[in-house]
Amino acid sequence: MGEMEELRKEADNLKDQITEARKVVQDTTLQEAVAGTTLVGRVQLKTRKTLRGHLAKIYAMHWGTDTNCSKLCVSASQDGKLIVWDTLTTNKVSAIPLKSSWVMTCAYAPSGNMVACGGLDNMCSIYNLKGKDGNVKVMRELAAHTGYLSCCRFLSDSEIITSSGDCTCVLWDIETGTEKTIFAGHLGDCMSLAVSPDFKMFISGACDFTAKLWDIREASCRQTFSGHESDINAIGFFPNGNAVITGSDDATCKLYDLRADQELITYQDSGIMCGVTSLAPSLSGRLLLAGYDDFNVNIWDMLKAERVGVLAGHDNRVSCIGVSSDGMACCTGSWDSFLKIWN
Amino acid sequence: MDEMDLPQMKKEVESLKYQLAFKREKSSPRHMVKWIEDGVPEDPFLNPELMKNNPWVEKGKCVLL
Repeated sequence: MGEMEELRKEADNLKDQITEARKVVQDTTLQEAVAGTTLVGRVQLKTRKTLRGHLAKIYAMHWGTDTNCSKLCVSASQDGKLIVWDTLTTNKVSAIPLKSSWVMTCAYAPSGNMVACGGLDNMCSIYNLKGKDGNVKVMRELAAHTGYLSCCRFLSDSEIITSSGDCTCVLWDIETGTEKTIFAGHLGDCMSLAVSPDFKMFISGACDFTAKLWDIREASCRQTFSGHESDINAIGFFPNGNAVITGSDDATCKLYDLRADQELITYQDSGIMCGVTSLAPSLSGRLLLAGYDDFNVNIWDMLKAERVGVLAGHDNRVSCIGVSSDGMACCTGSWDSFLKIWN
Repeated sequence: MDEMDLPQMKKEVESLKYQLAFKREKSSPRHMVKWIEDGVPEDPFLNPELMKNNPWVEKGKCVLL
């Protein structure tokens, strides 16, 4: 037997052992645990603001988290602009022209001092919002990925994590513009990433239909979650950091428990046949807001796994969604070029 | 999905060994249910009291510029 064949057998054997290990810790199912829980009443959120200004499809948005910018958000559009919005007044705090208009992701630093974006240019560009003369300028261009930049998230003003179509995720030192750690292991384009509430781990979703949990400092893949039948486009941490939520082209969202290392439940409905593009949990984690290719956002009761509401208002695909850090508002971004604030 | 080459396959086997070693816990979903239920009263999307002062809604009819 060739070495490759031996390794393949060993890999399959290890996967079987992981499956067995998961069975050993299986406890009651989530369905059993919520048998006595009442379904949340119909959730109706209204559009409170429409942010107009982009001239093409919006691909990404991200809320500010620092108390100074918790009502601000940044959006990226293929009109070649990053816009920082004051969502209360709908004013544009900054409108940043990009070198490359093929942007696919954007992020707001937790400090509120910087934003980042990237896309088909394979780079992650960092912009300083608090420059001395008031002008927003490119601070760094992080280049090393050999595929498109699908997502980026700041750990701090000095570190950022990116995910790429080259199947890897990278931790960067923004100061020096260099790669600190490369997280390799996915067998398909990495589409999305999310950082844990304690900033020690991150999760990535990819076109190999799996989600991986990575230990940032140990630079290793701790766990791999399977089950989806198509690309995972969206991923997020459950608010307490103990579970992971994924959204896929297979039209479902899934909740995976990190400690038991297995799937808890799938959010699906025979009436939904289009892919999930984006997702965000509400503050308590009771609700899951998920954007779909059919222009809607479905609101799920995360415990009972039933739909309890819908956000209808966009005239094209909802490409991105986010809940503000205080849980008071949800922002959706769409290919129709508008962002909407709902609560 | 790409076929792995030999070095990638070796890394995959190493990674699987590491992932197998993870200390899985009998983590009851009841903990998650309790965590969520404890947090619902503070969730603005589920507690209308918290949205009585909604910063995104104009208070008066007109705004003097």
